[in-house]
Amino acid sequence: MKKIIASIFLASVIAGAFSGCGSTVSSSSGAENSVYDSQSSSGASHEPIKLVVWHETTPEIGELLQKEFDKLKPDIEVEVVKKEKMTESLKLAGDSGEPDMYFFAHDKIGTFAQMEIIAPVTDFISKDDLADMLPMTVEAATYQNQVYQAPIFFETTMFLYNKALMKQIPKTTEELYNYAKENTKDGVYGFLEQHSTAYYVAAWMHSFGGYIINENAEPGLNLSGTMEAVEYHKKFVEYMPIDGDYQTLSTLFLEGKAHSIIAGPWLIPNAKEKGIDIGIASMPTIDETGKPLMSYSGVQGISVMKSAESKKEAVAAALKQILKPETGIDFAKAMGSAPANSKCYNDSDVSGNEIIMNLKQNAENAKPMPNVPEMDVMWTVTENMLTSVNKNNDDIKTECEKAQKEAFEKIEAMK
Amino acid sequence: MILKIKSKTEPYLYSAPALIVIALVMVLPIIYTVYISFTNMNVYHWKDFKFIGFKNYQKALFMLDSGFLMAFLRTVLWTAVNIILQLIISFLIAVLLNVKGLKLSKLYKTFLMFPWAMPGYVSILLWKMGMFNTEYGFLNHLLQKLGISKINWLSGNFTAFVSCIILNLWLALPFMIMIIDGALQSVDKCYYESAKLEGANFWNQTRYITIPLIKPIIAPMVMMTLFTTFKQFDIVYLLTQQNGSKTGADIHTVLTYAYENAFITNNYGYSSAVSIIIFLILLVYSIFNQKDIRGEA
Repeated sequence: MKKIIASIFLASVIAGAFSGCGSTVSSSSGAENSVYDSQSSSGASHEPIKLVVWHETTPEIGELLQKEFDKLKPDIEVEVVKKEKMTESLKLAGDSGEPDMYFFAHDKIGTFAQMEIIAPVTDFISKDDLADMLPMTVEAATYQNQVYQAPIFFETTMFLYNKALMKQIPKTTEELYNYAKENTKDGVYGFLEQHSTAYYVAAWMHSFGGYIINENAEPGLNLSGTMEAVEYHKKFVEYMPIDGDYQTLSTLFLEGKAHSIIAGPWLIPNAKEKGIDIGIASMPTIDETGKPLMSYSGVQGISVMKSAESKKEAVAAALKQILKPETGIDFAKAMGSAPANSKCYNDSDVSGNEIIMNLKQNAENAKPMPNVPEMDVMWTVTENMLTSVNKNNDDIKTECEKAQKEAFEKIEAMK
Repeated sequence: MILKIKSKTEPYLYSAPALIVIALVMVLPIIYTVYISFTNMNVYHWKDFKFIGFKNYQKALFMLDSGFLMAFLRTVLWTAVNIILQLIISFLIAVLLNVKGLKLSKLYKTFLMFPWAMPGYVSILLWKMGMFNTEYGFLNHLLQKLGISKINWLSGNFTAFVSCIILNLWLALPFMIMIIDGALQSVDKCYYESAKLEGANFWNQTRYITIPLIKPIIAPMVMMTLFTTFKQFDIVYLLTQQNGSKTGADIHTVLTYAYENAFITNNYGYSSAVSIIIFLILLVYSIFNQKDIRGEA
């Protein structure tokens, strides 16, 4: 209790420091949801065991989750609740016994595991239960050799193009560069990418053997691969809008002012709505290394709170339900998301979906976003470096070395 | 005797509910932040944090490097420029609104309040996309129509700083105009009549009547605005520092600098220590200001 009160006050102070910027940290400690307080599993056998699952995404995903969990009735009753500012609330929820599980991307599991808020899923189910999952999705869920997430589906960036404008699809990055050079004029762009955003440039670093941070939480901003990638990538920036932020780029593409773009699958429905004949192609290969761009991937799934350990059987049943191929297929059918379970791809609806199959192909090369807590500071450090290089034309080696030093300082400051 | 005690305690009793609320929402969090700042509460010690003395403060003072000093000086400059411009512009607008015989002055006032009624976050992002955006922004459209090449407004330090000031003026002027307008209306018209009889022109009327008379009303407002401008975070952060759309300009203020160097570390002890240091800076600042205002009034 002391901790909860303490945390609320801390949150309100931090929120106060940024008054007006709208980042009020939710101070809910779960008290308001106490109706869902579960009975202990030792209760009478005919009383259903109740579980609470939080999520922070669209109502559609909430409904899909609810539908899957409802299959566990009457023995287990699962309540899927939408929670605003969920990641902050989870930190404060701690021992209050609420929620039991949550649905989120994999990249926060390191932080939560380190904070001892979540428990490995293998405390509830066996490793064999994860055998059908695509290796990348399990890798994403693994932090310090423990698996912390039951994956449902994944996302990664893809190479999208406007069929009306781009007739020949570049196979390599040199072809792409020449294409951009020839076709960028009069406010129309040959190729777009969020060129100074770490999430996107990481794909180039990986293909050159560099990285932002590895699974041992070691920053790699001054590795030769990273620096080569940043240098090679810089020449593409010349033919892109200097702003390079998501809003500008997606608007350009949606208005038919860009031939191609590297973006997430979330852009596709918007483009179709705008009447753009959108094509999906494989990621171009980097001539020098012979490797395709290896984007970051995000895996969405269910993690279990440490406080749910007392409801072991119910949680295990819920996780097993989530890992069934039917869950992935239902999500794929409803939202066009790429399932984590490899068996889902035997379904004709899934294998017949161009977007999903392209995502699956990319997943073979994709690197899961780092899930180590140290990544939190790397976003800012890396983006400062990329902005200096791409927008201010600062020296690449100096900036990379500076960023690497800064990364170590900030990681030290975390401790 | 009883009456005496009663008359002494009664005011406190009446104000007790308000005092309790203030203690709960303002004083306690500050005390708690001080407490946290002496512990190692962070990602690695979330549940088992312990007292570590002044270590966080040592680290925080280490953050007070040349970057912080620059950010601090920039914040002082930012505050000064904003306050001066705000005072001059809103005084002029308020005087114009009070010109005798001005038609529809209420309507103008309503329009002038508009930026204030909009959520700041929305306004800032609208300005970012609608005004300063290199591809779609109004400013660059205008330049292109005039045959001048596009400018990346938020990328250079100078243009970004000026852009932030313009946006801050847009957001902050309504409040100033409203207060100065009210202050102007409170000045007794007979002063001006006798001044006119004496042959004083507009400048002399403003200098010897208007300004001295509205000063006591404006002084507290200036102090409030000083604080809000000093700790302005949203404008600078959202226009130039947001992750995913950093523009390359380095116009950190104290708060954005602290955010980038401390708050993103998820180290609550360390962040609290930085917060306390900024709190102390503001405290010193306010003591000086209060002296000034008392002197003036």
